Amino acid sequence: MKTPIDVLMATLLVFVTTLAHAALDVFTCSPEWGSLVTELAGPRASIFVATTALQDVHRIQARPSLIAHARTADLVVCTGADLEVGWMPMVRNQAGNERIQAGKPGFLEVASIVPRIEVPASVDRALGDVHPMGNPHIQFGPKQIRLAAGELARRLIRIDPAGEVEYQTRLADFTRRWDAATQRWAREGAPLQGVAVIQHHKNFSYLFEFLGLRQVNSLEPKPGVEPTSAHLRELVENQKSDPVRLIIRASYQSPDASEWLAQHLSVPALMLPATVGGSEGATNLFTLFDDCIHRMLSALK
Amino acid sequence: MRHTLIAAAVALAWVGPAMAQNAELDQIRRDIEDLRGSYEARIKALEDKLKDAEASAAKAQVSAAQAEASAAKAETAASRTDTPAPQAAAPTASQSAFNPAISLILNGTWGRFGNDPTTRITGFAPSGGEVSPGRGASIGESELFLSSSIDPYFRGSLLVALTPDNAVSVEEAYAETTALGQGFTIKAGRFFSGLGYLNAVHAHAWDFVDASLVQRAFLGANYGDDGVQVRWVAPLPVLLQFGAEVGRGREFPGAGGVVRNQNGPESRAFFVKLGGDIGPSSSYQVGASHLQQRSGQNGVAFLDYDDLSGVNNRFSGRQRINGVDMVYKWAPDGNPTYRNFKFAAEWYQRQYDGDFTFDTAGLAATDALAARQSGWYAQAIYQFMPYWRVGGRYDQLSHGTVALNANAARLAPPAFNPKRYSLMVDWNPSEFSRIRLQYSRDLTRQNIATGETIGDNQLFLQYIFSLGAHGAHQF
Repeated sequence: MKTPIDVLMATLLVFVTTLAHAALDVFTCSPEWGSLVTELAGPRASIFVATTALQDVHRIQARPSLIAHARTADLVVCTGADLEVGWMPMVRNQAGNERIQAGKPGFLEVASIVPRIEVPASVDRALGDVHPMGNPHIQFGPKQIRLAAGELARRLIRIDPAGEVEYQTRLADFTRRWDAATQRWAREGAPLQGVAVIQHHKNFSYLFEFLGLRQVNSLEPKPGVEPTSAHLRELVENQKSDPVRLIIRASYQSPDASEWLAQHLSVPALMLPATVGGSEGATNLFTLFDDCIHRMLSALK
Repeated sequence: MRHTLIAAAVALAWVGPAMAQNAELDQIRRDIEDLRGSYEARIKALEDKLKDAEASAAKAQVSAAQAEASAAKAETAASRTDTPAPQAAAPTASQSAFNPAISLILNGTWGRFGNDPTTRITGFAPSGGEVSPGRGASIGESELFLSSSIDPYFRGSLLVALTPDNAVSVEEAYAETTALGQGFTIKAGRFFSGLGYLNAVHAHAWDFVDASLVQRAFLGANYGDDGVQVRWVAPLPVLLQFGAEVGRGREFPGAGGVVRNQNGPESRAFFVKLGGDIGPSSSYQVGASHLQQRSGQNGVAFLDYDDLSGVNNRFSGRQRINGVDMVYKWAPDGNPTYRNFKFAAEWYQRQYDGDFTFDTAGLAATDALAARQSGWYAQAIYQFMPYWRVGGRYDQLSHGTVALNANAARLAPPAFNPKRYSLMVDWNPSEFSRIRLQYSRDLTRQNIATGETIGDNQLFLQYIFSLGAHGAHQF
């Protein structure tokens, strides 16, 4: 015979057990870090991803839902290098969560532990939205991802020591697969070596550096400034002296400018996923690279 | 040197007598056998070690990755020291590394009014502190904002406004906890109250040149106080935030600045906010707030109704303000770069409860005052292409009920509901600059003698520039 008290106690017990076995609560600023946490923590983590590949991470607002999720997070993984400067400080200030404050193991800005390219020698806002710490779109650097994985595993172990063996095993497995994939991408992407491209914003600089593509110019006249017709005409003029073979934009950017230019230059305009989830194929970090490389290769055929 | 000696010894052995040679050869063979045995033992030991190492391969890989990470760190550090002059770690540079983030707001307007803009809203006198641009060209408040972590436990902020009449006012100066956890944050100092939606938003982030009528009349544009604020965020997937404030009651909305000489708190505010997402494209926040204040024993110089009589009045008692607010934002796929939409509305009700002294200089007639008035605004902003936004706002005040009792005969506030329509368009060539044109049809004044509404067409051209650190704005 079950009395209401029994039912209550049973419910409480279930609730308490759920709490005790609650997964590590991880807040990630963008999908690439969500994917990396999935690789390293698997079912040990419950992951919240603050943005999608259809959003410009630089222009996100400190939405109420972000504050709510930051409130309960054990670990926050963001890019850093000022990419999230317009919203993450507000989210962290409002959340009342000491675990994700600067200097705590629960706050990881990946860009601060990996080498960055395109670090400006001097910064001035007259140059557009330049990042003093260099190009923050580090998710396209295989070396950067490998380093990020090592640091992320270290943080996971610090925050959740009970899972050490699992994190280590997963890291070893990820690193092995990542290294193999990196070699494969270098092989598959070999035809892209030296190919001259124009990209909308410098989203793919790390990928171009890895594969040896030559970045001739950007559709943006200055970082963060939308393409202007004057600048596009200038790009058409430059084509005569320094021809490009691909015009590339990220999944969250308007196709207008790249398609206009593609028509005038008679070269393909190509959309690449800005991060995981930006295309049907880009379902995780591995397929993100696969998809980008295959899209470029087939556009050149 | 040692090698030469060994070589010499070997040479000597070989040139020794043949008889001795055989015996010595045996000895050497035995030595070699010994050596082989000991090497085999050492090889076995090494093999075992290798097996151990293989067993902890994963572990080794972790530390290898860690080593790489720290190597990268070292690399970046090295590259930093490689870079020339400005970043080179001179002692001054390392000192300035701890400087607070500084941002500066420059703000200016050109206003065109049909009527004198300093005339008050009929029946509702705006309290002090409102940002109301004047006629002709003028700079608005320039704001200097400094903010930094203090230590692992606190962060501090200062916001100084430099007003066009060459005065400096401290708008906000507070320290806030960062290490409490459990969703708690405590803020102490001078700060804009968390009540409502736009109250805590600084003028440079408003979507219109001026504050809504209800904010001007009831809250003095941005109601702030010296005191303590406690906020708590519930551990839920949607935002549920509670806040409470106690303060000295530095500002008494309706009366402007108040000089207090009291130990206890004279004002209390409470607010609750609930917010979340509706799919990837939309998000919302709704809130409710309450503010209550006491005027103190001596009362406050009462600006309301002043305009009608031209005499000095005084109010002694309690004021309560209740409000509800909502904001909704939309952008296709949640990407506001190309198009986005924002709607905000707030409603407030203000109650006075106390004694009203009419004409402190002359008649000095005191009797009970009970008043209940309200006001609201609704505004919508649409960015229809990159850099360009248009917006509309309607705001109005309701005279409500004002019971002046014995003073009613001397002073009868008119039954008049002030209202205003505003349209704006702004151009934002970057996140750091904004140029705005606004037109308002102002119907906030009444000709007391004839009872006619005095309409006014108001035109503003405004710039807002922000320099320095990239600020993070609230939702």
